Amino acid sequence: MEYILTIMVLIAIFVILSSSYNLVIGYGGLATVAHPIFYALGAYTSALFAIHFGLPAVVCVLAGAMVAVAASILLALSALRVSGDYLLIASLGFQLGLLQVIKNFEFTGGPGGISAIPNTITGPWRTPAYLLICGGIAVLTVWLIARIVHGPYGRAIKAMRDEELAFSALGRNPITIKVVVFAIGCGIAGIAGGLYAFYFQYVSPDQFEVLQSAAMLTMVVLGGMGTTLGPAVGAVVLIAIPQAITFLNLPPAVMAPVQGIIFTSLVLLFLFLRPSGLVGPLSRNRMAGRTALQEQSEGAAE
Amino acid sequence: MTDPLVLLQILWTGAATSSIFVLLTIAFSLTHKVTGLWNFAQAGFMGIAFYAMFFVLSELQLPLIVALAAGAASAALASVLTEIFGLDVLRARKSGSLMFFIFTLILAQLIIYVLTLLFGTEPRTLYKSIMWPVRIVGSIAISNWDLQAVAIAIAMVTLLFLFLKTTREGQFLVAVSDNAKLAELYGISAKRAYRVTAVIAGLFICAAMYLAGTRGGVTPNSSFELVLAATIATLLGGMGRVFIGALAAVMLALIQSFSVLVISSRWQNLLLYGFLFVAITLFPRGINFRRLKSKPKAAASAPATVGKPADVAQST
Repeated sequence: MEYILTIMVLIAIFVILSSSYNLVIGYGGLATVAHPIFYALGAYTSALFAIHFGLPAVVCVLAGAMVAVAASILLALSALRVSGDYLLIASLGFQLGLLQVIKNFEFTGGPGGISAIPNTITGPWRTPAYLLICGGIAVLTVWLIARIVHGPYGRAIKAMRDEELAFSALGRNPITIKVVVFAIGCGIAGIAGGLYAFYFQYVSPDQFEVLQSAAMLTMVVLGGMGTTLGPAVGAVVLIAIPQAITFLNLPPAVMAPVQGIIFTSLVLLFLFLRPSGLVGPLSRNRMAGRTALQEQSEGAAE
Repeated sequence: MTDPLVLLQILWTGAATSSIFVLLTIAFSLTHKVTGLWNFAQAGFMGIAFYAMFFVLSELQLPLIVALAAGAASAALASVLTEIFGLDVLRARKSGSLMFFIFTLILAQLIIYVLTLLFGTEPRTLYKSIMWPVRIVGSIAISNWDLQAVAIAIAMVTLLFLFLKTTREGQFLVAVSDNAKLAELYGISAKRAYRVTAVIAGLFICAAMYLAGTRGGVTPNSSFELVLAATIATLLGGMGRVFIGALAAVMLALIQSFSVLVISSRWQNLLLYGFLFVAITLFPRGINFRRLKSKPKAAASAPATVGKPADVAQST
């Protein structure tokens, strides 16, 4: 039972992550893969604040979110000069570079990471309490993002995403909107990182590697990019199914790659059988539409 | 003050080691030039090539030539199958670049997981001993591995150059890379060009992994760093400039080698990722030294033609 609850906590954390990533990539149209590094910054900052300053968990998690916001603004101001594939790869470089920094500093625990993060909730109700907190924040995140994207600011975000040139011609500044969307999404990822650190009491650089980028991207795309519930559904499916084989009691050396094979095979399967995403047929049409738009702008540029 | 002999030794060893990066950069850059895709699945093909050679040499105890043939055939086959059953399908659906990115990245991961399951995470080498005979030439140690690496890289780059310049198939690749739709109007099959490119990339990957596996240990995961190095060199060299990308790969390897004089070796990867970030944000079309030289004049005469990187990125 404890194991199932733990998986549910993990799912709730990934719902927060994939929903916030959807705000950046699905609604904002900012093709970055660096989301796991903001998750990492939230986790590490929370852990370090809790260990070295003994601050309350809420303050540590908020500090993690602030650091993630600051780093996202840093990335946005430098990397949003490019777009499309180029932004994807620039963000990959940013993520791997920062991970390298985390791996090499002693105060971040090096490649071994940080353990013994203070336990804020003790007793038999620890996991249910965390599930309540993480689940609550997950619901709040999905609701908040739905409020943002369906309101006037959301219409501005989508207008900027769909036709940046026309949006600029109307006197609006796309860079400001991009930076704000990026900061909100990454700040929420920082909160998810803090929750992860306090629940699992251990963080290491390996948990935020390139596969994590691919995993989050997949949750968003296969759940349904640009839909409110799609990323949440994607997170549930892609976290829960590979965990099912845990009950087979395979040796650890076999378990990890087999879980990876199941995860990546599922992604490829969904990618080809259900490219429009699990929720809503909108995204495929929109993605095809965006391709056509890109082609038009490329043609115009040539 | 560092001894000049030490500097020369680093220069030589760095240049020899760069052979691996040169071959991988050419595979990556040529694929990008012809298909327009950042094919991260090549990280998986690297693993396939290496472990095919490892299996033939270590488990079947067959001669090196058979191992090389198995490595080249398996990498080329994996590359072509990916082209036919993956990339072609996504192209037919007019999928966005994000879909291609996810597909190639996830395919690479799937291959890496399968290889991890089959061969474990221990570093493997193609030979039991990777100590190569060394000769001293003018106080510089030159190993047989260095010589074979440089020779293989030069031979393969020359063959590719001749293939692209002198054969019809090579010219078809150049035509498709310039404008696939126009090339098809002239009866050139873009699909065929993509598959030929996949085979060539497989051969270059196999050669690189042979060199990597005869110099040090290879794990299923090590290919990701290699493909990122190839991405950086491709970016620095400039899109579509395959051979300049190869030169950029040599420069990157030398910078990494010389960096040990000033920074700890554990920070070397950060240098690599720093280059990736700077290259793509400041030089999205690669470094054009000729343009840099004539920039003040050009800027004075035609300021309106100088685009922002974002525009440049979208137009390439």
